[in-house]
Amino acid sequence: MIRPLKLLALAASLLMPAPSEARPLVLAIGGEPDGGFDPIMGWGHYGNPLFQSTLLRYDAELTLVGDLATDWTLSEDGRVWRLRLRGDARFSDGTPLTAEDVAFTYNTARAAGGLADLTVLKEARALDELTVELELTEPRITFVSRLATLGVVPAATYGEGYARQPVGSGPFQMVEWREGEQLLVEPNPYWHGGEIAFERVSFVFGSEEAGQALARTGAADVVAVPPSMADAAPSGLAVLHVETVDNRGLAFPMLPDTGATTDAGTPIGNDVTADRAIRVAVNQALDREALVALALNGHGRPAMGPADGLPWDNPEAAIPGNDPTAAMATLEAAGWRDTDGDDIREKAGLRAAFRVLYPASDSTRQALALGASEQLRGIGIDAQPTGSSWDEIGALMHSQVVVLGWGAHDPSELFYLHHGDYAGVDYYNTGHYANPAVDARLEAAEAASSFGASLGEWKAAAWDGETGFGPKGDATWAWMVNLEHSYWVSDCLDLGPLQIHPHGHGFPITHDLPSWRWTCE
Amino acid sequence: MRAWLPNLLAGRLVRLTWLLPLAAVGLFTLISLAPIDPVQAYVGGRSSQIGPEQRDAIAAAWGLDQPAAKRFASWLGQLTKGDLGQSITFNAPVMQVIATRLPASLALVGLAFVLSFVLGTLLGLTAAAMRGRWPDRVIRTLAVALAASPGFWVAILLVAVFAVGLGWLPACCATPPGQLATEVTLADRWRHMVLPVVTLSVVGIAPLVLHTRQSLIAFLKSPAAHHLATHGATPLRMALGPGLRHAAGVALTLHLAGAGEIFGGSVLAEAVFAWPGLGQATVRAATGADAPLLMGIGLATLLFVFAGNLLADIAARLADPRLRRPA
Repeated sequence: MIRPLKLLALAASLLMPAPSEARPLVLAIGGEPDGGFDPIMGWGHYGNPLFQSTLLRYDAELTLVGDLATDWTLSEDGRVWRLRLRGDARFSDGTPLTAEDVAFTYNTARAAGGLADLTVLKEARALDELTVELELTEPRITFVSRLATLGVVPAATYGEGYARQPVGSGPFQMVEWREGEQLLVEPNPYWHGGEIAFERVSFVFGSEEAGQALARTGAADVVAVPPSMADAAPSGLAVLHVETVDNRGLAFPMLPDTGATTDAGTPIGNDVTADRAIRVAVNQALDREALVALALNGHGRPAMGPADGLPWDNPEAAIPGNDPTAAMATLEAAGWRDTDGDDIREKAGLRAAFRVLYPASDSTRQALALGASEQLRGIGIDAQPTGSSWDEIGALMHSQVVVLGWGAHDPSELFYLHHGDYAGVDYYNTGHYANPAVDARLEAAEAASSFGASLGEWKAAAWDGETGFGPKGDATWAWMVNLEHSYWVSDCLDLGPLQIHPHGHGFPITHDLPSWRWTCE
Repeated sequence: MRAWLPNLLAGRLVRLTWLLPLAAVGLFTLISLAPIDPVQAYVGGRSSQIGPEQRDAIAAAWGLDQPAAKRFASWLGQLTKGDLGQSITFNAPVMQVIATRLPASLALVGLAFVLSFVLGTLLGLTAAAMRGRWPDRVIRTLAVALAASPGFWVAILLVAVFAVGLGWLPACCATPPGQLATEVTLADRWRHMVLPVVTLSVVGIAPLVLHTRQSLIAFLKSPAAHHLATHGATPLRMALGPGLRHAAGVALTLHLAGAGEIFGGSVLAEAVFAWPGLGQATVRAATGADAPLLMGIGLATLLFVFAGNLLADIAARLADPRLRRPA
């Protein structure tokens, strides 16, 4: 009599899922930070600091909300941030987080020479237990991006080995990091942000192929994949394409060729692209939908500006593309006509021709350069796609058109790309663009009294009704496409609302990891 | 009786004393000539959040604002104190990066080394003993096919068949995803080693098979072998007896001399299998123009290959008495 009962119990125990055995979430999204998890050296500035929390954070709509800070004010002159901290934030070792820790983090990062750019910070001070003051050397509203990205470290225990043994007040604590292989994290029991649905999360690193193989064997729940193969998701996983501002465009040399050179001796200026009519015509002619289909397999969206869809973007600055007729009219009106019958226009003996440089190793940029060239030929402009190395591009980018890409959750990018002070500095303002009205707008934006107040100035810098760096104004760029970042995501996982991603793959998708939920079981 | 050993060691020591400085200077020159800006590589996609002042600060923090000769001098100065410097990409002492990653690579390379030696020699002997018959033809075809196959391609093929297709073996990593090192069983570790080790073995096996086969055939044609054969020894017994001794020295020399190739192959295998070894670190260091780390890895590899060759010579002399005679 007893034996059947025993068998039944055994069968039941085998059929029932083990109650407390929550399975680990496995992510293969790349992006291993070789240098470790030290915010002072730059960890977390793109995406999610994971182990640390920040003073502020961007929500899914990119609105700033408090994280460690409960309220914050910027002084009248725009130079002093005063922030009140929440009282219940604790590091994963149980010690409370105070204003001292914040001041220590900011002061240390300023001096560290890492990937956190705090050169504008004069000093951070703890006024009392929970109030901190950050004084800047000059008004700089984009400093809020630092408030939203610099993770706070504990002043008492920060030191030599911190990057590999991070302790923070963020949603997770490190359990184990086997470099080059995987990172294992578990929820920080002291985190102030609420419940996390996973007992353990594993980030598997290694090649893209390794991630895909894991997905095919059912061992991974979120996998980053190249857009070209995204649609072939294995069973149990769904395709997710995330919108980005990871953009690609044509950067124009803005000055005529006067024989001037950079300090390194490379030529500046191009007589063809120095003519606004050419730049506007390129903007009018480009069929961006076709470029998305051609170069991105349809996984992207047309780019009209450097920050499409972000709060500081000005859609008014754009002009409609895919209109060769309008483009040809623009060229005609400016005196660009085909006089020798070779289908390429000339003006005063000058052919409407320039090179379009792209890194030969990047197939997406190559496809964009070839596609744009084909479209421009139709309006009588000879854009010669030229694959080269970054080295060569560096030497020619002030005199030829280059396919460049940007896109960040930070309007200071608009400043770097268009302000006259950054002409010829690194890859920023390659065209040596300088318009006093735009410079003034950009400076006014940085000097604004609040982030909200700066938005209008950023937009006006692109187009204020009369001038701007956007296509309606000086047309410094012809933006082409915004990429999509593609993932395979387990059918059993709900990621909630997602941000528009910035340039670069990997950790951005984990921005809201604490609020992800299993939907099966 | 072992008079050859001190001579050999002394000769090699002399060679090492001029080889090391030469390699260091050569490596550093190549790295400084590489068309990669280490600061740009370090900043990577984060350009828009790093202003020019901060770039200068980064360059200064890593000493990259100094001229190349001065950087080399200060690197040498540190080296004399036993310090290999600080890695830019890993933001950690070079010594530590190498120390944490070398064991995983050594396990992989060591196992592959032994496996390919045993398999290669046995297959070569078998082929020679069965010369002209079907096992010989199968083995030779296999060897030629393997010699022509790139390592990473073999790796992807193995993953496609045994991990994704059949589901027998894990597709990646040294341990199962989501498990702590302490939770991983020994069986798991071995299972995770199978595909990478097989991939790496393939790199070294083909030349070994063909060389062993050839040297055994030469032996079987010799008067000594004819003598043994007339006394009733079968080709198989001769292959595994005196023939093995005859071929082993050559095989071992060849194999140890090729140790560098297996080490090189591990870079690709580690990338495909997400193996936490030195190979991946090498790739990152190279793409980031991380001079200190590249120098460290380069010198470590040099010592490794050098030791491999030295061991090869010693082992070959022990196995084959003919080599002990002064040349």
